[in-house]
Amino acid sequence: MDSIMQYAWLIPLFPLFAFIVIVSFGRQLKEGAAYVGILCTGISFVLAAMTFWARFQPGATDVKTTVDWLEMLDKVVRMGFEVNQLNAMMLVIVTFVSLLVQIYSKGYMHGDERFPVFYQYLSLFTFSMLGLVISPNLLQVYIFWELVGVCSFLLVGYYYFKPEAKAAAKKAFIVTRIGDVGLFIGIALLFWGTGSFDYADIFNAIALGRLEPWMITLTAVLIFIGAVGKSGQFPLHTWLPDAMEGPTPVSALIHAATMVAAGVYLVAAAYPLFLASETALNVVAYVGGFTAIFAASIGLTQRDIKRVLAYSTVSQLGYMMLALGAAGAAGYVAGTFHLMTHAFFKALLFLAAGSVIHAVHTQDVFEMGGLWKKMPVTGWVFLIGCLAIAGVPPFSGYWSKEEILGAVYAAHRYDLLWVGIIAAFFTAFYMFRLFFLTFVGQPRGEGHHEVHESPAVMTVPLVLLAVPAVIAGFVNTPYAPVLGEWLLDGSIGALFKETGEHAAAWVQVAAILVSLLGIGLAYLMYAKRSVAPEAIVRPLPWLYQLSYRKYYIDEIYHAVFVRPLGWIGYGLQFFDRFVVDGLVGLTAKIANFIGWLHARLQNGQVQTYGVVVLLGMVLILIGYSLTVQGGVPFAK
Amino acid sequence: MPNSYLLSLITLSPLVAIVILAFVPKNQGGILKQIGILGTLLPLVLSFLLFANFNYGDPHMQFVEKVNWISIPVGNPQMGEVFSFTINYEMGVDGVSMPLIVLTAIIGTLAAVASWQIKKRLKEYFILFHLLLIGMFGVFAAQNLLLFFIFFELTLVPMYFLIGIWGYSDRERAANTFLLYNGVGSAIMLIAFLIIYLTIPGVNGNPTMNFGELAAALSTPNNPMLQHVSPSLLFGLFLALFIAFGIKLPVFPFHTWMLKVHVQAPPSIVMIHSGILLKMGAYGLLRIGIGFFPEQAYQFATWMAVLGLINVLYGAVLAFVQKDLKMVLAYSSISHMGIVLLGFAAMNSIGFQGAIFQVISHGFISALMFFLIGVIWERTETSMISELGGLAKSMPFISGVLLAAAMASLGLPGMSGFISEFLAFLGLFGVKPVMAAVGTLGIILTAVYLLRAVLRTTFGPMPDRYQGAADAQPIEVIPMVVLLGFIILIGIYPAVLSEPLQETLKNIVPIVPGMGG
Repeated sequence: MDSIMQYAWLIPLFPLFAFIVIVSFGRQLKEGAAYVGILCTGISFVLAAMTFWARFQPGATDVKTTVDWLEMLDKVVRMGFEVNQLNAMMLVIVTFVSLLVQIYSKGYMHGDERFPVFYQYLSLFTFSMLGLVISPNLLQVYIFWELVGVCSFLLVGYYYFKPEAKAAAKKAFIVTRIGDVGLFIGIALLFWGTGSFDYADIFNAIALGRLEPWMITLTAVLIFIGAVGKSGQFPLHTWLPDAMEGPTPVSALIHAATMVAAGVYLVAAAYPLFLASETALNVVAYVGGFTAIFAASIGLTQRDIKRVLAYSTVSQLGYMMLALGAAGAAGYVAGTFHLMTHAFFKALLFLAAGSVIHAVHTQDVFEMGGLWKKMPVTGWVFLIGCLAIAGVPPFSGYWSKEEILGAVYAAHRYDLLWVGIIAAFFTAFYMFRLFFLTFVGQPRGEGHHEVHESPAVMTVPLVLLAVPAVIAGFVNTPYAPVLGEWLLDGSIGALFKETGEHAAAWVQVAAILVSLLGIGLAYLMYAKRSVAPEAIVRPLPWLYQLSYRKYYIDEIYHAVFVRPLGWIGYGLQFFDRFVVDGLVGLTAKIANFIGWLHARLQNGQVQTYGVVVLLGMVLILIGYSLTVQGGVPFAK
Repeated sequence: MPNSYLLSLITLSPLVAIVILAFVPKNQGGILKQIGILGTLLPLVLSFLLFANFNYGDPHMQFVEKVNWISIPVGNPQMGEVFSFTINYEMGVDGVSMPLIVLTAIIGTLAAVASWQIKKRLKEYFILFHLLLIGMFGVFAAQNLLLFFIFFELTLVPMYFLIGIWGYSDRERAANTFLLYNGVGSAIMLIAFLIIYLTIPGVNGNPTMNFGELAAALSTPNNPMLQHVSPSLLFGLFLALFIAFGIKLPVFPFHTWMLKVHVQAPPSIVMIHSGILLKMGAYGLLRIGIGFFPEQAYQFATWMAVLGLINVLYGAVLAFVQKDLKMVLAYSSISHMGIVLLGFAAMNSIGFQGAIFQVISHGFISALMFFLIGVIWERTETSMISELGGLAKSMPFISGVLLAAAMASLGLPGMSGFISEFLAFLGLFGVKPVMAAVGTLGIILTAVYLLRAVLRTTFGPMPDRYQGAADAQPIEVIPMVVLLGFIILIGIYPAVLSEPLQETLKNIVPIVPGMGG
């Protein structure tokens, strides 16, 4: 009955096949490339759904198969796949969002010169992301981790001729690579500590106490650094908002729903390692909590619709990290649960934003307005997305956010609880600020009279995403925590000590209240316009600037890292040219002399060279035989 | 055994082309090019035979050839003291040198294809080119000191002329610097070889130049024949060899000569130079330096790691500020050769494997890179980064391959550069975790300088003057696809390299004291 799980390795291979086909026949396929991508991802989605269903059955167990890949004398690195609860869920999310994004892109990218290239990259990304999720060991995770990174780079820089896209792509690659190196070091240290890259072996070694506590903390934090880079957590968050230079479907798929969630997934997948170190968990919790509120505070003031969504993504990922780090079993469930609901509603929001951008050709929300009538489907689904992310019951985001706050409360982390509540208020406010500015009021930009709803190829995926954005929360309500019980059934659940504590009712009420408060404030300021934004900014203009300028983090990094690297480089350049090469400048003089000598000797006769070589050898031999008289040189 | 002369055949097979070229008139450019290219197919086919017939399970040298070569009777016959001073012609390969021969043959053929850009004195060019091939094959096949030295020197002379005649504007100075540095290196090597020959007899007491016998003698515990040899002499010998091969690799601060070669030599020759000639330094260091003196190497390992770190970081930072693509790649080579040193410094099987992977992998990647530089130069007549830009518009294929090569070079998984970097660092983390962690900064810096160089070349707005530039021609596509194919093959299926290595490494690693798994 679990036979379908044995074939889970096929799930990533279909998108890989699509990639190869489009690479080979892209020129002939033209926009037909979309069908190849959609078909293959569709098959993967069906397989993933079947795999999930098989794993969901009562009594189903994990499946794992590996083959030899690389011999290292006495150790063999194996590659393969694994199906467990966590990644069965991820497989469905990734294939589902990827499929809808590919359908949507067929309309969104229509007429683009490099249409097949876009689908190449998308297919390669889907393959890599699925490979990452299905990996049974950390080395394989790392391999696919880098591959999704490079796909992200390629897609961010898809409009390669735009200088901003070029800069954003480079930044995305390099900043995430800083995190990747942390992950790499963590993996290497774990290998030498446990003799394996395999999750199971590593967890076993930890359970048996074969790793020193400081080593567990160190490796867990290093792995978390990788997650910080990928999931855009502070201080490596700067690349993610810039990555919005990529086409909007890419932002939806990679920079909202899947790849950026890989960091959260990695922490969840390596959770037994984190559980063994309280310090590491605290690092996760506080970095996550800080990022949640920090990014949300930037989102309050941004003007670019995609950038607001990007900061929102950073903030929501921080929320997930906060849950994972702060709150044991309940936090583990809440974090992964929020990962799922967020994938749906954030992909929805991005694709809806894309639909808007497609229609009005601007990303500045202050140039939009009044689109509700002209784009009814987009308006409705955008509203659904906003309600979900703001945490209004019964939309999906409400349940997962409430779960996180409840778990944090139950773990007695009241400082983090307040962080979460304030971030929730910010979120509700900036999302509805976005909604009201875009869809309500009078059109502010030019040329809006031609605006009309996007074609069905784009709106149908929107509607299909809106469905889980509304209902996905019901899989794990406090009244029927189906997902949570299922996720905790098995080895991971056994690691938790049951606290039996539950959130106080006031937390639920407070969560709903702050959401409504945020929405209400946004309504007064941007829809009813009875509260002028300036009135709020006026007492503290620098605070507004701080938020609008993203706390000047980019400028600081530029001054502290980028420019000094150039200075060091030019300093070393001078050193290399005038000291290193200059030291042998003396010998260069000799070179000239030899060159001059050569010119004398150089008559094109090979014999002359032979004579010189022979002469040299004879001289050395003579010199040697002189010193060797009576014994061995240099020896006693 | 049917393959008993295979190594000599491979080594000498370029002679066929040389002889034919000698009879073709100078002005027959097309025919000269065809012979020059076709001639490299002979060693290529033979080296594939070598690959196919290589026995993975055999830890010993294979395809061994041993012929009595030079024999000089020494001593006084009246006193009955006759013994002969014998030097053999000895060849053989193991899991380290076999892939290097295959690499040489592949890069040789592709560099010959890249030579279609050569415009003058084709006859001499191709004769020297094939002479160079003989030297390189010989270095990797030779099994004794004299033969190794002869072949090593044999690469210098053709290189000197290939740089000095067919290079760019400042070619003569580059050629002289090349000869000077390498000449000094060779002199040091020769002295070390002679001292080894005269002080270290084989296990049976007879003087020997054979690699295997010398290594065995040096690794025999309490060898009575070595009682007169002081540890400081052994260490000195190792150090001399390290410097001799370090100049070739090159190790900081001996690297400045190769910058000039990289910039001034024609792209086809830089493909060979960066792809193979530098690797002779790594190979010599492993086979003779570490192979003969593992204990001394072990004592020196920390310094080797320090020098490796300097190479990695110094090369990377300098590559970041270069204005010429060729200089970026030259410093990049220095940085990447640092990883070879780091792998060696680990002194464990994983590190060694990483170093050897890096040697092969960088051979393919740098050959591809320099081939691309040549291709771009053909169209733009510049390699200055500031003058390029947006090439992806008019040359999407070339730009795509350039980006792929950069990705391979910065260690993207799925490509060969990842496996080598990963193994070298993994090995080092087992013994020197702090130094290894410092070295991983190089992983970030590599991405920084490569993306800077490549994105400035291919991304962004394109200057109008490149509007009509054509994308790759079929003759250019072949080398790109072949090289990229090998890079990806090793990246996805590293067993193709690691399998032949396993038995050989078992031979090398146990003699390294304190070896960790």
